[in-house]
Amino acid sequence: MSRSSYLKPDTVALHTGYVPESDHGSRAVPVYQTTSYVFESVSDGSSLFNVEQGGHIYSRITNPTVAVLEQRIAALEGGSGAICTASGMSALFTAFITLCSAGDHLISATQIYGSTATLLKHTIKRLGIECSFIPINDEQALRDAIQPNTKMVFCESIGNPGLEIANIPAISAIAHEAGIPLVVDATFATPTLCRPIDHGADIVVHSVTKWMGGHGVAIGGAIVDGGRFDWAQSGRFPELTEPYAPFHGIRFWEEFGPSALAMKMRAESMRDVGAAMSPHNAFLILQGLETLSLRMKQHVANAAQLLAWLQQQESVTWTNYPDMESNPSHALAATLFPQGAGSMLCFGVVGGRAGGAAFIDSLQLASNLANVGDARTLVLHPASTTHSRLTVDDMQAAGISEDMIRVSVGIEDIADIKADFKRGFKAAQRVAGAA
Amino acid sequence: MYLDVRGNKTYAATGGKEFDNSLPTVMFVHGSGLDHRSWALQTRWFAYNGYSVLAPDLPGHSLSDGKPLESIEDMGAWLAEFIRAAGADSVHAVGHSQGFLDVLELARQAPELLKSITGVGTAGAIPVNPALIDAAANSAGAAAEMLLMWGFGPDAQFGISAVPGMQPIAIGRQIMARNPLYEDLVACNNYREGSAVAKSIDLPSQLVLARKDLLTPFKAGMAFAEELNASVTIIERYGHMLPIEAPRQTLQKLRELIGGLEHSSERK
Repeated sequence: MSRSSYLKPDTVALHTGYVPESDHGSRAVPVYQTTSYVFESVSDGSSLFNVEQGGHIYSRITNPTVAVLEQRIAALEGGSGAICTASGMSALFTAFITLCSAGDHLISATQIYGSTATLLKHTIKRLGIECSFIPINDEQALRDAIQPNTKMVFCESIGNPGLEIANIPAISAIAHEAGIPLVVDATFATPTLCRPIDHGADIVVHSVTKWMGGHGVAIGGAIVDGGRFDWAQSGRFPELTEPYAPFHGIRFWEEFGPSALAMKMRAESMRDVGAAMSPHNAFLILQGLETLSLRMKQHVANAAQLLAWLQQQESVTWTNYPDMESNPSHALAATLFPQGAGSMLCFGVVGGRAGGAAFIDSLQLASNLANVGDARTLVLHPASTTHSRLTVDDMQAAGISEDMIRVSVGIEDIADIKADFKRGFKAAQRVAGAA
Repeated sequence: MYLDVRGNKTYAATGGKEFDNSLPTVMFVHGSGLDHRSWALQTRWFAYNGYSVLAPDLPGHSLSDGKPLESIEDMGAWLAEFIRAAGADSVHAVGHSQGFLDVLELARQAPELLKSITGVGTAGAIPVNPALIDAAANSAGAAAEMLLMWGFGPDAQFGISAVPGMQPIAIGRQIMARNPLYEDLVACNNYREGSAVAKSIDLPSQLVLARKDLLTPFKAGMAFAEELNASVTIIERYGHMLPIEAPRQTLQKLRELIGGLEHSSERK
């Protein structure tokens, strides 16, 4: 276990990265709603620009409120540092373009979030970066996919929406044999349920919009540098080991070692791409993060109860949850997610696509929307929405069927969630009966 | 840059600028299990403000090859060879914790190579808890956990970082866990010559100490400062890892002493 602090995780979530500031003693983290910071002198400004000292210059690059969130997330994940971004997608984009350049290649799991699949398949292809998609737990497929120009392996700790568990220890071992880092999107689990770095991952990405915030009021992302990957020994990353021209020829690995990647992302992507998180959003995410562990316990408990109940319903044709005993990933889930494998579950309803639509349209408590990880229960029909841009074959590879209902189980009273779903099943049965 | 010292490839950070022996040189020596990155927030300032910088990784540490040295006396001798290999005439030597013991030995063995000495978070002797040495014998990672828990002050334990977004304790652990911490701690523990050396050297000297230092308590540093006839600064609120925890304050003190000496030598 790699620690960023000797406080326990629940304490880290409340305190890390901030002690009451000396001017006013504000107990809560203040919102530093400012674009820029006054230099003490010309020489002071110059030394900040030249990384001779730490500090803030401009909020596109760093901001004190955002830094608290970054340090807190890094500590929760056991990383050497973190960069927060405007969204989860910009966090992924930052990770991809920091590690890969034109002519490079990366390997991704097929079961990933639809927008991430689009980014890898189409957008970064335009930048000259090729991606091979593989069933991520197929060890031979992973070995076969590695090329001399492969720069990273990417997966989600719990795939969206297929809920496939990535065997992080096995995947990272194969990647490391080839001198390649493993990047894990851990949004569905949060560090409360699984810390990928402890299992061999090198970089962790989050959409903090989801469970980390939990309130559904702010968009944001984070990239955590695990600090353990030896960029020099790998030999695949001259961007980190050779002089970086835009910064007086700095060699990130020599200068910063375990935080080389985070410093590179800060110096390059935050400066050039500018996908900065707003200080107000950082403040809002911090409010959610304070209660993350309490909420995750309730999310997981509700998911387990709802799953057991769904399995008894006549209108439910199938269910999927990573920790389900009949799921092939059950043993792996128990190892990687001892407190529960999240609060996402999927199921099919009678009546196929039309039955699924009727189910969702009749719900009153659960919200039909394109988000997950809200404290409220959320439902979605992926085939019509998040994954609608995929071909039928790609959809199948991503673990999606036309009748699939994706549920992000909230922390409401479970009796109310069940009552709402009962209403949905009646509607689905009417459609199925009419067909 | 890389140098050959005792036949081993040896890394020395130069603060982001090429080493130039025509400039006054400041040499930074890291503490047990650490490396040149301890000084990341001091070296670049000196390199970009009229000095040349040398911050070596001791043999077997991080980017330097070779077997770790087994005694502080040998580390002092190695530093003398390193300075000569770099082509520097004389240096202002700055040492953190064990690194300052190395500097003391350098001062005893080759005072002609020194213009001044500064100790940061240190004392004249650094006895090491046997439990820590035992832990290091079995696992550098486990020992690093203990050392960093005691080594960083309260703010760092609350995840406060001089560099936005970073976690100094995690960074320190990653460095220490890969380095020969056991050999360093044993060498530290065995060194008893600090007081004798202090009486034998005649160099401008200062100690920068931390009020919350649990590894080299500031009272021990104060007592040693008297023996060394060194000026003393105590930085409040921070722990043993001053160059990382309180980089600005540490840099300021280095600028004052080294800048003052260089300024007065220019006037002469």
